[in-house]
Amino acid sequence: MGGLRTEEFIVNMGPQHPSTHGVCRLMLTMDGEKVVKIEPFIGYLHRAIEKICENRTYAQCVPIIDRFEYVTSMSCNQVFSLAAEKLAGIEVPERAEYLRVIMLELNRIASHLIFYGVTAMDLGALTPFLYGLREREMIIDLFEMTCGQRLTYNYIRIGGVSRDIPKEFVPQCRKAIETIRDKLNDYEGLLNENPIWLVRNKGVGYLAPDVAIAYGVSGPSLRASGVKYDLRRDDPYSIYDRFDFDVAVRYNGDCYDRYLVRLDEIKQSIRIVDQALDGLPEGPIRAKVSPNFKPPAGEVYSRIENSRGEMGAYILSDGSKKPFRVKLRGGSYNQLEVVPVIGVGGLIADLVAIFASLDVIMPEVDR
Amino acid sequence: MTGDELKDYVARQFEGRMTLLDTGRFDPMYEVKVPDLLEVAKALRDDENLKFDFFCNLGGVDTGERFEAVYSIASTINKLRLDFKVMLPRDGAEIESVQEIWPGANWYEREIWELFGINVKNHGNLKRFLLPDDWDQGHPLRKDWDAPDFIRMPEL
Amino acid sequence: MSWPLAIGELHGIFRLLYGLLKDTGLPQPWLDTVTYIVLSVVVFGLLSVIALFLVWWERKIAGHIQQRFGPMRNGWHGWYQTIMDGLKLLQKEDVIISTRDKVVFFWAPVMCFVAAFLAYVVIPFGDGLIVADLNIGILYIMAVTTFTVISLLMAGWGSNNKYALLGGMRSAAQVVSYEVPMVASVLAIVVFVGSLSMVDIVKSQSGLVFNWFIFRFPFGPIAFITYIIAGTAEANRTPFDIPEAEQELVAGYNVEYSGMKFAMFFLAEFINMFTISAVAVTLFLGGWNGPFLPSWIWFVIKVLAIVLLLMLFRWTYPRLRVDQLMEFAWKFLVPVTFANLILAAWMKYAGWYW
Repeated sequence: MGGLRTEEFIVNMGPQHPSTHGVCRLMLTMDGEKVVKIEPFIGYLHRAIEKICENRTYAQCVPIIDRFEYVTSMSCNQVFSLAAEKLAGIEVPERAEYLRVIMLELNRIASHLIFYGVTAMDLGALTPFLYGLREREMIIDLFEMTCGQRLTYNYIRIGGVSRDIPKEFVPQCRKAIETIRDKLNDYEGLLNENPIWLVRNKGVGYLAPDVAIAYGVSGPSLRASGVKYDLRRDDPYSIYDRFDFDVAVRYNGDCYDRYLVRLDEIKQSIRIVDQALDGLPEGPIRAKVSPNFKPPAGEVYSRIENSRGEMGAYILSDGSKKPFRVKLRGGSYNQLEVVPVIGVGGLIADLVAIFASLDVIMPEVDR
Repeated sequence: MTGDELKDYVARQFEGRMTLLDTGRFDPMYEVKVPDLLEVAKALRDDENLKFDFFCNLGGVDTGERFEAVYSIASTINKLRLDFKVMLPRDGAEIESVQEIWPGANWYEREIWELFGINVKNHGNLKRFLLPDDWDQGHPLRKDWDAPDFIRMPEL
Repeated sequence: MSWPLAIGELHGIFRLLYGLLKDTGLPQPWLDTVTYIVLSVVVFGLLSVIALFLVWWERKIAGHIQQRFGPMRNGWHGWYQTIMDGLKLLQKEDVIISTRDKVVFFWAPVMCFVAAFLAYVVIPFGDGLIVADLNIGILYIMAVTTFTVISLLMAGWGSNNKYALLGGMRSAAQVVSYEVPMVASVLAIVVFVGSLSMVDIVKSQSGLVFNWFIFRFPFGPIAFITYIIAGTAEANRTPFDIPEAEQELVAGYNVEYSGMKFAMFFLAEFINMFTISAVAVTLFLGGWNGPFLPSWIWFVIKVLAIVLLLMLFRWTYPRLRVDQLMEFAWKFLVPVTFANLILAAWMKYAGWYW
């Protein structure tokens, strides 16, 4: 076919696009239907959280850090509180630790349910979105019962949690996770063996484990490539070493496995919540933290396992009541960094599937 | 390897190149000089007992007198974590890019260039990232950056 | 000449009107012309109502599958929601984009709409309720439904937009590829009946339920299944709705259309879906045959059952990628339908049927 002149053309995907999970602009250089180069442009959701936090006291920073990643905002609060507690040497009471774990794991389940719905919706199956959000409503009701908020909770504070759970929480929580455990069978039955789902996801977007680690990809996207690295196991924080759960791992590294890993993680989170509810002790819910919270000078980097990967907070304190520097690290940042590497060579439809399966959330990228 | 063993090992292997700063009861923080950065990073990644293959974080800090670039790395194989920083002068701050060693550092370096003005050599793609493409009003995360009363909207 | 309308309850009025018309002393060609024009207007009106009903029904079905109610406010369970939406679309600004090919841009929705409606000349709504019983009935329908390809290409080209062009070409490729298995499935039945006329096909399924072609194993069910799959692709519905994939190319070929032009594409899609279902009912499910109830009620029930099936497909399955879609048509459906055709012809020749 010599002599046929073909040209590459540039297609702009976003920033407003139904399947870029927030405002992200991808400039695709395409050769016919195949994607040859991807260049992400971010910053549409940049809210200068780090700069704002330099002018707020630690307690005032907590609700702002909530918005760092609003889908799992309990984790954002947790990572910041962990860092501040390490700086000040505060010991969190037992009951607060258990409550924190329950809330974190419930938030992880809610986030994975959103992932399930949104991934299916991106690939054309419009109904699982409604099913996933219906189950998430039960979890959100629990959160609203506890802290009054549905999305940005401001619940996990420095030293503990802000309020105690009401007495309806435990029975309703058990009922909610029982229902989710049953409905998971429905979700798996709907999509797992569906030939269209398999043909869209299996073999698409292969992420080799060494590439993933080199780019800093963590969380379920890393575990789907066969690397058994979970911060709850390998660098335990809070009281995760007391719970008995498995780390969900799959070995093929394609979009289908990333989807399966997250469904497995929902099951493991349900186990942890069950154990935590069983072992919930009585006691204070917050350590004594002075209103004039002034941690000593020093720097600390604390990290937790978020549903999107490793979430980290680096705080440099100079001894005053405002943090001198806060640097936040989100898992989606690295996952977006790896999209230009694994997204090339396929069609736009594959790029949509890859983007959805990596579970990238733009507020974490832009801060 | 526990925390203390790691401290001893690093003190032995990287004598002279990584100096331990006094951090009290917090996690150890090392200082690496600017010219040694690339070889220290390579050694940290390739050393048999350390194998720091996972890049966690790179943040810039403006302490008023100088800039610092704080690196956090981890090892997925040996389950370790390490922080180190590079001290830089305020004017003409320059560091080498570590993206051949940890490709994930690419975007982090772009960000510290954009928000602090620390130049990163051999990066290849220092373009506007979080801020609008035609931003010309300074490096926002510096301590002496004054937020103007009105920010000009980007051209559409 | 044969009565266009024969037995049935409605015919009384039309017979009266026809009698009145004849009494005015019009010469025969004019009489026929007026008759057919009136009948076409009646069918047009019927179809508009059907289109509105289908849009409402789809939204209710989608709602109930997704554990919510769908439209509830405009009338009892939202029955006049579509009328309200139509009025809203009429009020929208008709965005004229700057394109060199204004003629193409303007006529694309018109062609789509006209092509969708033309097929209803030969659809038998009941016993004797057909506008014109052409002896090339099913061939005419297959020919006319292919006009939509031209209108999709026109829409894509005239929109002066990369996305629309890509969407239009993909859509055209898809429709053309799935024509082959669709026609081959239909041919299996036609070979069996021996006639292309729609009324003949329905009449050959009269009698017991087991005369319906869907029950004539083995070629009947296979032809039915391949016809439904190919028909879903023809109507651009999920899982074959790449041309309208919102998540990928943001509405594809009709992205630049607004207001009433968009409404025409939208309604044409539903009319197409109804056509596919009506043809499926005529060919496979016995048309208007059924005990006790009047024939047109049976027809409506059966067609709505097939439409329900197509709607269930849309709200359950994810969508196929464009190359997988084409691969499925050429590498799987075409061999299967051709083998089925040979099987049907052989069975008819050898007399292995009841």
